[in-house]
Amino acid sequence: MEPKLIDHLFRYHSGKMVSVLTRIFGLKHLDIIEDAVQDTFIKASISWRNKPPDYPEAWLTQAAKNRVLDIFRKLKTEQKHFPNINQGTDTIAINELFLDTEIEDAQLSMIFTACHPKLDPKDRISFALKTVSGFSIKEISSALLTKEDTIKKRLLRARKTIRQSQLKFQTPIGKELSIRLESVLDVLYLIFNEGFHSNQKEKLIHKELCGEAIRLCQMLLKNKLTKTPEAYALCALMYFHSARLDTKTNAENMLLDLKTQDRSQWYVPLIKLGHAMMNKAVETSEFSRYHYEAAIASEHLKVSCFEDTNWDNILHWYQCLNTLQPMPAHLLTMAVICIQNKDYNKAKDYFDRLNPENLAQRSYLYYAAKADYFTVLNNANEAITYIDLAINRVTNLQEKDYLLKKKSLILSTSLD
Amino acid sequence: MKEFMMIFVGADYTDQNLSPEELQTQMGKWFAWNDKMTQAGIVSHGNALTPQIRRVTGANRTVTDLTSAEVKEIVGGYYIVKAQDFDAVQKIAEDYPDYDLGGTVEIREIMIFDR
Repeated sequence: MEPKLIDHLFRYHSGKMVSVLTRIFGLKHLDIIEDAVQDTFIKASISWRNKPPDYPEAWLTQAAKNRVLDIFRKLKTEQKHFPNINQGTDTIAINELFLDTEIEDAQLSMIFTACHPKLDPKDRISFALKTVSGFSIKEISSALLTKEDTIKKRLLRARKTIRQSQLKFQTPIGKELSIRLESVLDVLYLIFNEGFHSNQKEKLIHKELCGEAIRLCQMLLKNKLTKTPEAYALCALMYFHSARLDTKTNAENMLLDLKTQDRSQWYVPLIKLGHAMMNKAVETSEFSRYHYEAAIASEHLKVSCFEDTNWDNILHWYQCLNTLQPMPAHLLTMAVICIQNKDYNKAKDYFDRLNPENLAQRSYLYYAAKADYFTVLNNANEAITYIDLAINRVTNLQEKDYLLKKKSLILSTSLD
Repeated sequence: MKEFMMIFVGADYTDQNLSPEELQTQMGKWFAWNDKMTQAGIVSHGNALTPQIRRVTGANRTVTDLTSAEVKEIVGGYYIVKAQDFDAVQKIAEDYPDYDLGGTVEIREIMIFDR
């Protein structure tokens, strides 16, 4: 048997190569760099067909080093005044840039570039997935459920911004670091959520995106400048969520809520990893939204059945979260928690503080929750009115099915 | 046993916009296919060809340099296999990985000239 290659080897190496080569040639030559890297993988995929090299990673690193010389030559013919490469000393310097720690450094610089506040928030995600993670435009477009043309435009715009703002390819230091890191964590969080709460009609969960967000977060945790409590908390949150990724849908790809998920299938090693991260995250007393969200996720993982859920704790964490970062979605969740807790007056308070329009395309969640509220109050008429409003507004097919089932349940119980 | 050549036409990876992930997946399928044939002891050798073409043609030996972009269907590689007959090779060719990328397998028998 031929040796099986590490999963995603090419994709991971593509991110590494692009980062290291960018460090050598600068962001302005990103086009040439990406073409050269793409070419390397095409050649590898063909010439390895019959016999892959004994050390594929070393092979790829050597290929990247060879690309340095190729690109030098190319730039030299394009621009006469481009500096000469000095065979002796420069080759040693180049070799040093391919040491593991230096590669990690270059990748970190690329993450910070992709998540630079000067870039449009939407462009950041696409640019990070392309340049840091090695996804193709087609893959990004299907992961984000966005047209390929739109992704192309975002990538072009990101490059233009990088050029015009003359962004430096480096990891920021001092005061700037914390502001920039916040933006990086935000992008990783969004990438993860795109995967976890995917709004796609057909495929509900995009594990790839979740895995990638975790991988990038782990990169931050490997560096002493970026392994902050906030980064640990985000990593914990992602591990906790990932632990129940496989139970979010059943064999027919139907959406399952926390009540019906098979808790015995929750993946314990990930929960343990999440707790390990959480322990690191609480070494200081300053808590971020990731801390609270991870705390909420872990409350659900703690108990072996839905009925045991500690809703008081969860409500408390949501109150903390909403104080730190007030959002209509939090109010809605708190209303739902109060229904679970049979505290219907308090639930009504939260509903009254909410304007469903502020939830935009997620307004159906408000109407569905209100339907639940009237169901437990035995007001079937109102419940039906609200469930219909929810059904009219939902776009995800699985969620629509779920709501339709709920409706027939209300109808059948009201007839009893 | 006879010898056959399987010629792979089309499916040029350079103009398919394949991502690193897709390239790796595709390569994995080639590994598996090659493995299967090696295990069965039917493959004698094979090669992949680069997309550069130099074409010499006509009485004047006119020389043209071409790339895959200028040629519609380019031969990308071949395998030489031992098999009973065309049907047996056809069976082997079913596992060729690049049909989805527009590739074609052409099966030719290697001529043995009996006096």
